[in-house]
Amino acid sequence: MQQWTDLFLNMPLPENWMKGLLFITFGLHLLFVLLMLGTAILSLLFFLRDLLRQPSPSQHWNEHVAHSHMGLKSLAVVLGVAPLLIMQVSHSQAFFTVTVLFSYSWLAIIPLLITAFLLFDAFAHKLGSTTWLALVCGIVGVAALLTVPAIFTGALALMERPASWADFAAHGVSLDTDWMPHWVLRYLHIVGAALAFGAAFHLFYSAKNDAPKAVLLRKWLIGALAVQAIIGFALLATILPQMSSPVLTLISLGALALGSALWILRPDSTAAAYRLLALLPLIFVTMLLARQLLQNEAMAPAQAEATAWRAQKAAELAPFSQKALDAFAVKLRTVYDNGDTIYDGACEPCHGLDGRGVGSESHRLRIPATDLAALRIDRDYAYEMIRDGTPGTGMPYFRMFDREKIDALLDTLDRRFSMFAATPPPPRDISPDSLEVWIAACAKCHAANGSVTASGKAMQPPPPDFRRSSVTHERALKIITEGYPGTGMPAYRNQPEKIREDLAIISNSFRAAHNKN
Amino acid sequence: MNFPILHIPVVGDGMTIALNAVLHVCISHGLAIGLMGMVVLFQTLTWKGKGQFWADIARKVLGPLVVITTSIGAVTGVGIWVLTGSLAPEGIGALIHLFFWPWFIEWFAFTAEVILLLYYYYNWEKLITTRPGKLAAIGWAYVATSFVSAVLITGILGFMLTPQGWPWARSFTEAYFNPTFAPQCFLRVGGGFAMGTLMMMGWIAWRFTGTPLERGRALRACGIALLLSVAVTAAASYVYFSRVPSTYLTHWKFAVATSYLSQMPDFLPAANVGAVLVLVLAALAAMARPPVLSRLLCIPALLLSICFVMEFERVREFVRGPYLMPGYMHASQITLVESEAMIAENQPLLPRLRWVNTSDKLPPATQAARALFAANCGVCHAESGINGIDQRLAGRSADGINAMLGITQRLAPYMTPFVGSEQERTLLTEYLFQLSSNYSRRNQQATREK
Repeated sequence: MQQWTDLFLNMPLPENWMKGLLFITFGLHLLFVLLMLGTAILSLLFFLRDLLRQPSPSQHWNEHVAHSHMGLKSLAVVLGVAPLLIMQVSHSQAFFTVTVLFSYSWLAIIPLLITAFLLFDAFAHKLGSTTWLALVCGIVGVAALLTVPAIFTGALALMERPASWADFAAHGVSLDTDWMPHWVLRYLHIVGAALAFGAAFHLFYSAKNDAPKAVLLRKWLIGALAVQAIIGFALLATILPQMSSPVLTLISLGALALGSALWILRPDSTAAAYRLLALLPLIFVTMLLARQLLQNEAMAPAQAEATAWRAQKAAELAPFSQKALDAFAVKLRTVYDNGDTIYDGACEPCHGLDGRGVGSESHRLRIPATDLAALRIDRDYAYEMIRDGTPGTGMPYFRMFDREKIDALLDTLDRRFSMFAATPPPPRDISPDSLEVWIAACAKCHAANGSVTASGKAMQPPPPDFRRSSVTHERALKIITEGYPGTGMPAYRNQPEKIREDLAIISNSFRAAHNKN
Repeated sequence: MNFPILHIPVVGDGMTIALNAVLHVCISHGLAIGLMGMVVLFQTLTWKGKGQFWADIARKVLGPLVVITTSIGAVTGVGIWVLTGSLAPEGIGALIHLFFWPWFIEWFAFTAEVILLLYYYYNWEKLITTRPGKLAAIGWAYVATSFVSAVLITGILGFMLTPQGWPWARSFTEAYFNPTFAPQCFLRVGGGFAMGTLMMMGWIAWRFTGTPLERGRALRACGIALLLSVAVTAAASYVYFSRVPSTYLTHWKFAVATSYLSQMPDFLPAANVGAVLVLVLAALAAMARPPVLSRLLCIPALLLSICFVMEFERVREFVRGPYLMPGYMHASQITLVESEAMIAENQPLLPRLRWVNTSDKLPPATQAARALFAANCGVCHAESGINGIDQRLAGRSADGINAMLGITQRLAPYMTPFVGSEQERTLLTEYLFQLSSNYSRRNQQATREK
């Protein structure tokens, strides 16, 4: 097996190293996401609370809280790149499948985050000066921000449930989706964690010299942790069948740390808040580790199956590697700056190398390709036909070639088939009978002067303009006698040969009269 | 294919990615590299005793710059991953498996860049008077990391265009250190600086409230920086495009100017020369110091430089031809080797698609045809809308469409081959003919109603 037949089989590191990297980088990302989200929610809530108490409250402290959001969000975004990268390698099957299944929600993250960030920046900038603007920006910005973890938790919940992928693809998400309770609780768990970590962060960062604010933040922290405990137990209930001993051990340890944190934060406690600095990371790491173990166990089977399938396919395809490379090498050498290359690539399949209309694909055409070798037309008319194609036939437009390329192609057509040569003048006079036939039959479509009548223009394909286009006498006679298959041109084999000969001369005389090259 | 296929209706995949990518490049290059470079330069001039007004200008610009780069710039950067992960999972997945380490290392550079930017911004007031040298050092460290970040990502982007070695050698170094690596670095950084200096020039010309002498000196600095940036960008562009395989470059006019304008041979070269002239004039006007001309010229010059970004990105994306990863994968996310095997053995494609959208409750034949369209054509063509296949095939006969499907690669050098059995080709033909007939009918009706 050659590796390059499927790059998904190239792994940059052994599996366990990838898991370790994912844990570290995702942990960093999540930490800043929680701090950023918590900061945004708390800052808005503080603003609303103050606003309800007095019309123009002082927002000096809250400005400090809100301004930290920009740094936190910047780090949250940039730190998210590494886990995204690692997930795409280590859990490619689940990641890409769910990314596409979840696509529109997933894509909505881009405008939602931009809106949220800009509006929250505006909120932070205006909350001390323009209250109404800050109110609008804050509410809409935080609302937009809160939708993003909903999308992420939904995608992760789906990634961990390969058995639900097909059902999701067919029916999307609805309230009776069996993993909906898990999703909702997981989302609330993230919001709760954001409030807890946001409050803890500002307890040590924004309120370290402000006792009343520290009391306020301790209340928020104890409330958020208590709610986390309740949501956490409910969330556990939704994944109970997936529990393993290591996961249970980690969750128990985290719960113990959470209990200790609550004990430290109790209202009459005299314990130093700095003890929290040891407990909060412990809660974070144990819970995150438990989450990753659960995730790995859930995603591993589908990933292994996909890898095996890819390996098998790569082995099957290996014999074709050289052929594919050879074809690519030819393509790399082919430069479309000359008419020969364009003709041999784009025109030959229908018109053939000799221009007679019998190329490799011509057997598929109901209306035979034009016999270019018999064609004598004006160069600009040929250009228009190549540029726009011929409606009602298989002749496509070639507007994808720029003017120089089409000009090069026209040069080639002339060199190979003398397509733009002058039409010889009529060899003799035409009998009045033939002219009558022309007027009575041919001119209905071709017009008396060789152009195209209104009814001719309505045809698919329309007849050619004889003032600008002709064919050799032999070809004209053949078309008049046998008709042109698939078009409105009927066969006139019932007409006497003399008249058909004359009609061929007439049809070519218009261009000869214009004598245009 | 292993993953479900998603294509954006009406707007199309390419336009969706382009909207995000161009916005990102304008911010990441123009603001994060160019404008921020000018901010640090101006602050350094104050530190070196050239006048307080340099730092005043820098501080005024810094706030909005940080907000935009950390909001729109960062999110659209991640947005490229989000978009490509949704629209081309096989392609971006393969690319990530090949270039994991440069991307991972780039993450460190990117993180360092953000930390330095934040440090510079948050500590400006504290350091500008007490330790301006330290502030300048942080600023220049930021400029250096943003350059490193640009260098690291360029290897991956350049690979898509110049794969002459990699498909055969299959080594990482062949892929990463490709012929356009160096010129593309200079092109991106030079172009970024040109945009940044133009933005700075515009701000000074329109908004600066210092003395005329100070404004004149600042404008002159911007003019010199712009002229140098344009010269570096132009030289790098020349080297860059001379290293892109001719077969890819052959369609650059069509890529940029659409089918209508590409029929005017001199339009694009003249437009490009004209745009460069406007940029040079803007630089000379700034160097001459009076603000009136700079006010007038900076706006068209900035718009034209955005057009240049669009042109460059469009050419870069388009001239890859039918490949998502040249020598490895077609734009349709089907690998070259798989396509070769299936065409050789007339194998059907549908059984290989692990996911087919069944949510629309369509008849089985239509559903199958839509899946074939999505897999073969959907990456470039929407069914209807921008570059809609209904419009592209309007007026063609069914047998003509069938013939075209067999020769897509020969018909236009950037089209992917049709992959599927003869029976599937007929199925897709019928579907495409139906789409194009509906388009023609709608058009005729609209003409009659007029």
